[in-house]
Amino acid sequence: MPKVKKKRMAFVVDMTPLVDITFLLLTFLMFTAKFKSEAENEQKYNIERPYATPDTTKLPDRDLAIIKVAIDETSPNKDTVLLFGLANQNDKAQVWAAVPEVQKALGDKNASLVQVDSLTLGKLIKATRSVNKNTRFALDADKKVTFETIWTAMNIMRKNNAFTFNYVTEPRKGAE
Amino acid sequence: MAGGGGGLAVPERAKRGKHSHRKKKKRLGFALDMTPLVDITFLLLTFFMFTTTMMKPQMMEMKIPPAALNNVEVKASDLFTIYVREDGKTFYQMGLDEPQAVEFDKIKNVAKTQNLIPLKKNRLITFLKLQVKTKYETLIKVLDELNLAEVEITEEIAKDIDPATQKPVERKRRFTIAPFSEEDNTKIGGL
Repeated sequence: MPKVKKKRMAFVVDMTPLVDITFLLLTFLMFTAKFKSEAENEQKYNIERPYATPDTTKLPDRDLAIIKVAIDETSPNKDTVLLFGLANQNDKAQVWAAVPEVQKALGDKNASLVQVDSLTLGKLIKATRSVNKNTRFALDADKKVTFETIWTAMNIMRKNNAFTFNYVTEPRKGAE
Repeated sequence: MAGGGGGLAVPERAKRGKHSHRKKKKRLGFALDMTPLVDITFLLLTFFMFTTTMMKPQMMEMKIPPAALNNVEVKASDLFTIYVREDGKTFYQMGLDEPQAVEFDKIKNVAKTQNLIPLKKNRLITFLKLQVKTKYETLIKVLDELNLAEVEITEEIAKDIDPATQKPVERKRRFTIAPFSEEDNTKIGGL
């Protein structure tokens, strides 16, 4: 009946290249995603790191002993909590065995991170150095921790012959 | 990858002559709708896109804690002290002169100028003192400024030639850190 019949236009889009590139991007991102180390996963306390100008050194994931100083927000006095973690799994077993005080504090026998007091920390540092000479020490503290606590931690390291260590920081935004 | 599904055909008999009257097997077609596949793929893709960018790399600052300061004899005039009070105010002291207040932003320049005084080049010992209740954040900020100054100082010093080796002078950085003594508490606390 209608005189002019509207021409029906068919949109045929072949989605093959779209899905191809999508899968490509997906696999690329899957491989470049870095996952948190074991020790970091076990951490209950959140540490807000201070900012510093970024240089090119990154935290190593092997031969590393990390001393974390966190603030327990749930405690009434906002106590500082000392944690000690080891990256190398085989070093960890030896060091945990060498320092019996740690056995009580360890919730899970295979834990990489353990809460300690200053005395035990000293013993742990000593044990770590004897197990693996090449262990690098890092101090990861919340920005609100007082210098007093940091100084104590540094002294413990110094007494146990760990003379070089690094601070763990966040890169400062807007610098370089 | 085809947009639609392919059809799975039952193999047809090559010879048709003998069994031409036989019923022809129905051809089954599998039409596969790929919509949910692409949906989940895009979901995963956006997830990975966002999580990969949010993992900021952790940077480290190199720091060597000092061996006990008592063992080393230092000339008071070679000492450049930076005091950091718990309220965040910073002061600097050259040798045994009066400590002077310095704004945080100026620390880098002060450190640079003091280290490059002709008589003191490569001889100055930087002594960083902090009141015990100072926040760790402040410590890192000051260290950061000193490290930045160090880069410029090393550059300046390398412009001179060492007469002994005929090569650019190598920077010898002497640095140490300690908390305020009682004397410092009264002196700097009162400023």
